Amino acid sequence: MSNYGVKILSNSISSLSAQQALISNSANNIANVNTPGYTRRQIELQTRSGGGTASNGIQIGSGVEVSQVKRIADTFLDDLLRTASGTLSQANLKNDYLNRVQELFSLDGTDVTIGSALNDFFSSVNQLSLSPANIDLRLNVMQRGEDLVGSIRNVFNTLADTQKELNDRIPSEVDNINTYTAQIAKLNGVIAQREAAGQPALDEQDQRELLFQRLAEKVQYKLVDNKNGTYSVFLDNGFPLVSATTSRDLSVTVAPTFGGATLPPSLSGESLNYIVYDYGGSGQPSHLDLTQAIKAGSGSLGGLLQLRGYAAVTNTSSFQADGALVAIASRVEALTRALLVDVNQTYLGGTPGNAGDLNGNSPGPFGLFDFTYSGVKDDGDGIPEYSDLTNPALGIDNFSSLLKFGVTDPAAFAAARDVDPAAATTVFRPGDGQNAQALARMLNSSIDFSVGAFSFRGTFDELYNSTVTYVGNAKSSAEVNARVAEQNYTSAANRRDEMSGVSLDEEFANLIKYQKAFQASARMIKTAGDLFDQIVSLI
Amino acid sequence: MTRISENRTQRTLVTNTLLNKERLDKYSREVSSGLKVALPGDSSDSGTVSRYQQTLQKIDSYTTTVAQTKSILQFQDTIMEQMNELIIRAKEVATQGANETLSVSARAHLAEEIYQIRDHVASLANSTYQGRYIFGGSDDDDPPYDSTTYSEPATGTAATRYVFDAELGTAVTKVVDLTENLSINLNTPANRLFGTTLEAMERLGRALGGYATLPATGSPDGTGAAYTMPTDYPAQTAAIKNSIDLLNRARENEIIPERVSLGGRLRRIETAESLLGLTRNSAEDVLGRIQNIDETESAANLARAQSALEASYTVTAKVLRMSILDYI
Repeated sequence: MSNYGVKILSNSISSLSAQQALISNSANNIANVNTPGYTRRQIELQTRSGGGTASNGIQIGSGVEVSQVKRIADTFLDDLLRTASGTLSQANLKNDYLNRVQELFSLDGTDVTIGSALNDFFSSVNQLSLSPANIDLRLNVMQRGEDLVGSIRNVFNTLADTQKELNDRIPSEVDNINTYTAQIAKLNGVIAQREAAGQPALDEQDQRELLFQRLAEKVQYKLVDNKNGTYSVFLDNGFPLVSATTSRDLSVTVAPTFGGATLPPSLSGESLNYIVYDYGGSGQPSHLDLTQAIKAGSGSLGGLLQLRGYAAVTNTSSFQADGALVAIASRVEALTRALLVDVNQTYLGGTPGNAGDLNGNSPGPFGLFDFTYSGVKDDGDGIPEYSDLTNPALGIDNFSSLLKFGVTDPAAFAAARDVDPAAATTVFRPGDGQNAQALARMLNSSIDFSVGAFSFRGTFDELYNSTVTYVGNAKSSAEVNARVAEQNYTSAANRRDEMSGVSLDEEFANLIKYQKAFQASARMIKTAGDLFDQIVSLI
Repeated sequence: MTRISENRTQRTLVTNTLLNKERLDKYSREVSSGLKVALPGDSSDSGTVSRYQQTLQKIDSYTTTVAQTKSILQFQDTIMEQMNELIIRAKEVATQGANETLSVSARAHLAEEIYQIRDHVASLANSTYQGRYIFGGSDDDDPPYDSTTYSEPATGTAATRYVFDAELGTAVTKVVDLTENLSINLNTPANRLFGTTLEAMERLGRALGGYATLPATGSPDGTGAAYTMPTDYPAQTAAIKNSIDLLNRARENEIIPERVSLGGRLRRIETAESLLGLTRNSAEDVLGRIQNIDETESAANLARAQSALEASYTVTAKVLRMSILDYI
């Protein structure tokens, strides 16, 4: 006699089990619909092999069984999303910071900008040249001068503070990277161990993929599949952040061992952070510079470094660094130095003693635009020169944050020139505005502006306008990049979701299908029971 | 077939809603401020906007200077007009005094009027504008002409004469920059405008009063003997006539040329004013086209963005509410 009854029961039971597994998988997918990094699972069924032949030799089949649970993922799409998220995080960071910076160069006409303050100051001096003894006009020159140095200090200090903020964010970014790489290495170990034992490590793979995503948001890297369940992570210069189950922590230092005793300062005069790998061990540091490699890539850390700028350890000035902030600050500093040198030279009357105020006194070398410094400022010839500013003994890198207006008494503004320079004694007349006039003409004079890697020949207005254009281009470029990056990210995330994301519609439709199959299998067991009962009743 | 996951649906809806909200924010900022370029990143023309703003700022400054300079020159023109009238009156008196039928005492009476005219001329030379001596050059806190008293050596009579201020800077011609490329003289030194007139009137007054004047040429120094009448009557008449010639020269060589010069400078100022006005209009026009919104276009954009955002909200609410569970 054939054993069909037994077959009915065993096949149905296998089906019940398989349908429960499918329902359970759907439940897991639905549960994780909002879990970051979750990759939907799919159960693959197969017919159960062996033992499916009845006693009369007819092959009925042995039911169904779960062959495997798969993560529905595509490494290409994962890779695409990692790249897109790295680009997006960098583009957003740059766009946000440049948005703040561009506020300093507002064009709405309501704020005092360097450009408007420059014109107001030189205009007030020109007004004074018409009526040089007028105290109201002299007070106006002083106020406009204070406005000008105030606007320069404000812009420069904001740029310096922004650079400092970017610099200060580097350690926490590196901490995050170290945390991610350590977790990746640990998961690599777990996954390799589980897979070696023939057990899939799907949840761990999801977690690791999420860490890859988060790491990509910070820094650009390459992944190498070690084919044993582990991945190695390399920076673009080949430095291994993770080698299978080993991670290497990056460090942040202001005193890298590859630098000299004196390192280039930041715009605010503080130390710049370098990202290094310390291969020397404790107590005996030996640093490998990774700053440039990270700066060249995508990710928020690369963006921070690109904005902040990289300074070679051999640099001596903050203005030798690259980066948008330094480029903008260099323009402001170049303007400041022209005020300190070129404008002050004119204010001096060309040569010391050739210009004078209402009290008959002549200004000193930094008489109009001055800077806070308690030591000797000029080389003794009484004339402000660029060489005075770059004198190492002075030890000042930026003058913009130290800039101040040198005239504190309206009568002490030197509007006049010596009536007869050939005479032995100098005579300054209250109605003489020749010095003020020469000063006012400086607004339209062509000047060689230069600091660090920046140089420009033109008027004050032209320098300011070129700075506005530079800031505008940097900002609009950052905005376009952010928009494109957002589109690319959305596209990459959508494509990954098409493949790996959970669709509730799909899951519920499947659920109904699995439920029906489960009900059918249960009915088959009942049918088998009925058949048995029928047979038993015949006995 | 594309698999649409819940996350994808939600991301698409949220992204589009945020995009529409961003557009609405942009257009509402534009409409409320009236500017489409308020920050450098708003346009590739931001440098141009900055340049035109500076141009307008400069024009404002130049316009103020031009207005002040014009006022000063008009004031000087008024003084020159008065000078002209005073010289004409002095000539009339002198002509009357040169009449040889006039007695010595009648001539002496005319001298009084001449001295009054001279004082008036001196006060014009010492005119102030906003508290500063307008013809004082760079020494404009001192009057360019100081009065000094002296006694006639022959009679001991007290007399007054005017001396040009010898301080450095009084004879300076000040130059003012009206625009970047236009500078004009703000004043003519007092000695070049009033020197000959005052000399002529001094000589005329002395001659009519019965005194010779020394030195023979140039500014009188207060010396000169009294004429002996009737012997010196012809010499007195000759001195009066010489003074008339001197007054003519003062008028022809100093006052009229200065009035012509002032007229020329005022015309240049008016041309500059006109050019500044044109430049301002042109700059405002260009700046307006680059920086200001087109109200109609912006209002339409705003309305469009508003409609798009409302549509986004509607679609988001509808789509996110949809669930297969409602149909199972």
